[in-house]
Amino acid sequence: MLLSMIVLIPLIFAVLTLLTKTREQARVMALIATVSVLLLTVYTYFNFDSTTAATQFEEFYSWVPSLGISYHLGIDGISLPLILLNAIVMPMLILFTWNDDRKAPNRFYSLILITQGAVLGVFCALDFFLFYVFWELTLIPLFFMVSIWGGPKKHYASIKFFIYTHVASLVMLLGIFGLYFAAWETTGTPSLSIPHLLAQFQFIESGITRDLIFLALLFGFIVKLPVFPFHSWLPDAYTEAPTAGSVLFVLLKIGGYGIFKIMLPMLPFTASPNLMITIMGALGAVSILYGAFLALAQKDLKRMVAYSSLSHMGYVTLGAAGLVSLSVSGAMFQQFSHGLIMSIMFMSCGVINKATGTRIINELGGLAQRMPKLAVIMVLAFMASLGLPGLTGFIAEFSVLAGSFVNLQGYVVIALMAIVITAAYHLWALQRAMFGVYKEKLGNVVDINGYQTLAMGVIAILILYFGLNPSPVLDMMLTNSEHIIGLMAGMGV
Amino acid sequence: MDLMLFAPEITMVVTGLAVLLIGLFLPVESKKVLGYLASLGIIAALYLTIASLGTNALAFYDTLSVDALSQFFKIVFLVVALLFSIASIKYTEGSAHVEEFYVLAIFATIGMMFVASANDLMVLFVAFELASISTYVLAGFEKKNPQSLEAAMKYFLIGSLSGALMLFGITFLYGVTGTTSIPGIAASGAAIAASPIGIISVVLLIAGMGFKIALVPFHMWAPDTYQGAPPLVSALLAAGSKKMGIVAAFKVFIVALIALQVQWQIAFAVLAVITMTLGNVAALSQTSVKRMLAYSSLAQAGYITMAFVVLTPMALGGGILYALSHGFMKAGAFIATAAVVYMVLSGNKDAKDPDHIDNFKGLGQRMPVTALSMTIFVFALAGIPLTAGYMSKFVLFSSTIQAGFAWLAVIAIINSAISLFYYAKIVKYMYFLPTEGTKVSEPLPYTIALVVAVIGVLAIGFWPEPFIYWAMEAGKVLLAGGI
Repeated sequence: MLLSMIVLIPLIFAVLTLLTKTREQARVMALIATVSVLLLTVYTYFNFDSTTAATQFEEFYSWVPSLGISYHLGIDGISLPLILLNAIVMPMLILFTWNDDRKAPNRFYSLILITQGAVLGVFCALDFFLFYVFWELTLIPLFFMVSIWGGPKKHYASIKFFIYTHVASLVMLLGIFGLYFAAWETTGTPSLSIPHLLAQFQFIESGITRDLIFLALLFGFIVKLPVFPFHSWLPDAYTEAPTAGSVLFVLLKIGGYGIFKIMLPMLPFTASPNLMITIMGALGAVSILYGAFLALAQKDLKRMVAYSSLSHMGYVTLGAAGLVSLSVSGAMFQQFSHGLIMSIMFMSCGVINKATGTRIINELGGLAQRMPKLAVIMVLAFMASLGLPGLTGFIAEFSVLAGSFVNLQGYVVIALMAIVITAAYHLWALQRAMFGVYKEKLGNVVDINGYQTLAMGVIAILILYFGLNPSPVLDMMLTNSEHIIGLMAGMGV
Repeated sequence: MDLMLFAPEITMVVTGLAVLLIGLFLPVESKKVLGYLASLGIIAALYLTIASLGTNALAFYDTLSVDALSQFFKIVFLVVALLFSIASIKYTEGSAHVEEFYVLAIFATIGMMFVASANDLMVLFVAFELASISTYVLAGFEKKNPQSLEAAMKYFLIGSLSGALMLFGITFLYGVTGTTSIPGIAASGAAIAASPIGIISVVLLIAGMGFKIALVPFHMWAPDTYQGAPPLVSALLAAGSKKMGIVAAFKVFIVALIALQVQWQIAFAVLAVITMTLGNVAALSQTSVKRMLAYSSLAQAGYITMAFVVLTPMALGGGILYALSHGFMKAGAFIATAAVVYMVLSGNKDAKDPDHIDNFKGLGQRMPVTALSMTIFVFALAGIPLTAGYMSKFVLFSSTIQAGFAWLAVIAIINSAISLFYYAKIVKYMYFLPTEGTKVSEPLPYTIALVVAVIGVLAIGFWPEPFIYWAMEAGKVLLAGGI
């Protein structure tokens, strides 16, 4: 029941929030929901056995037996850290937006809660039908989020995001169908259970079928992640979204989750595993470098952060393709770390935009004098993002690069080149926007309010905490990556 | 022979006649009662039909059959008729011709129900014509509205032509086989396959039924008629009458003409692809919501036609389930449009194009229930998960892949993605564009009909097991060659 509650509480509260009349009611309702999810998740975390890669807290009810669809939930060391990330940041997001004035607050908070429920649903689902339902459900609230409260190009950005990722989901659906029927043929019974289908994948006779299924699913995941060359929806959607929307995008870790949960166990059984590794590794390495170069060229602070997100997501694919437990667990940790860091970075962009009316780096300057609290938190996030030791970003990226070097030296060299550029754009932006002489024409800016300080501060402290002591989440990631790598031993990969 | 096999039809006939007779003696202002009476009669017939699921029998010298297929489709027709009749309570308010309106709709439904039960081509044709003629009149019901008359005229001319083509096809089959019984024709499959006349009759029958289903290139009348006819009648045409064409085609091709399977499968494959693609592409640029829904209903018919190509129990089950889902979704969408049209016309009697998409601006605030229902219907039509549309597409498309027609499934899936554009456009207008109007009170009958349709759409989406089971059973009847 625990997982069902974690998934359903946000969805139920989304409806209740929609019915509220005032901003006060809506935000309180949203806070109650997100805090309840956080408490339940923390309880789950402390009852979770991180020494085993097995599925825990399983729930199973038959739903449509004639098609093999069931209501099947369960979590493991891949999903729990992401659930934890989501559960932690969501209440902070509600607090961050606590004093914001915006139209239709009930719909705003309702959409946030739907997104949370859908994302948590993807992490918990162990049935492809359910997985796909939640996967698609993430799309609708985000689309509305961008198209109602977004920036000047919101309509273009929301439609582009919708079409791009919806088409990718349909390709993924084709892959799911292929897997479903191929396994139906071998076993004689229909089933959409994820563990069952992953286990059956190796018994599909035709190698081409296996490769096509793998590529179709991979396409769905890497577009959502996103990875070069399927990233062009990202800068528009992330930049045009309201701050809360950008944070929701950041917490949308379902693409990377799919890679670890579904792609990696299938990888050794494809007809040409080396080709698949090359594809993933190359796309990852190119994304890291290309994203960093694009970020360097941006004038808009938020757009820069958006491209840096692309660059960071490259580590996820590269680490997954590295196929040693160090790189795989590092890539999983990158998802967790990236969620925390980027949340603060987008929140900072939002605050700056609201206080000064601009996000163009050139027009900013010396903000640290007027916004000292923001400056402290922002510097910490930027340092974590560029990979300063002692913060979460370093652990993730170091593990990925060190681990991947075993199998993918060439790609690691490409990625290494990006590190200098990454440091450059982070420091440059920080220096020009926050430090130096204060530009008087920005007017009388005020620092972040108490709620925002609390929200961003808590996340900043967690970045520091997990940077110094990653084992509370890294241990279970390691257990699972070792399990996945164990599956591959002897497959000649 | 057990007359109780046809209890639903008998109930409908009694209801129809009762409405007609009572209507004669009622003053205009109390004719509202007729709507309640018709709705109750339809509910009774619906109950009797659902209770008779699982019966297998032949009657009237084997010209009619009662089986899972016939009963499932009767449920589709009755559901559409029920939604239609509830919503019409408001639409016909104050009209002197309430009883005609209801009687025509009820007789059209009876015709459709007999098509579903027909086991003989003559019965099938007569029932087909009963339904068609009743709907011709309904389409022109707004006598003073030139658009409605034009719609009725087009529908009538093309409908009679298609009826003639179909009859022509049937006569050829009779000439070759010497029988009009559907199983009888199936039994002489070898003779049909050997004779060139077989192909001619296939062509004529596809054309005749293609008109009714509105398959491209026999679709020209549909957008004009759906746009011009009163929106509730469009609901009946798109959601009910179209399904009659489909069940007739199921019986004629899959049962009677199975010997020519290879020939008509190719034809249907081509028609399915053209129909869904043209329907979706044409819908993109429409500004009249009724016309947009008309094109979307072409697209949906294209999807259902895939069942003819794949021809596995699962695909037929999927197609049949799609027919039921489409009944709820499309009837619901047209009824929501009808509510908007009603709202616009009650504000300004001479409003031009009351179903123009601009009238949907800000509907989320003006008519919250209608807007929410419309959102659910269009999302269901687009195939968003946990709706009837998604479940049906899931079964139908996945069976297409299972049978090895991956190319067809890919085309269908791409089409679904395209369709999202124009469905999302309606939602955008309803929720994101500012409105000039104020909140209006939503007419209760429309609201009830919408809520019933929403329940249907969500029930199939959340709890599809019984629906899938009976749809598959119905599909098996077809593949077993009838009973």
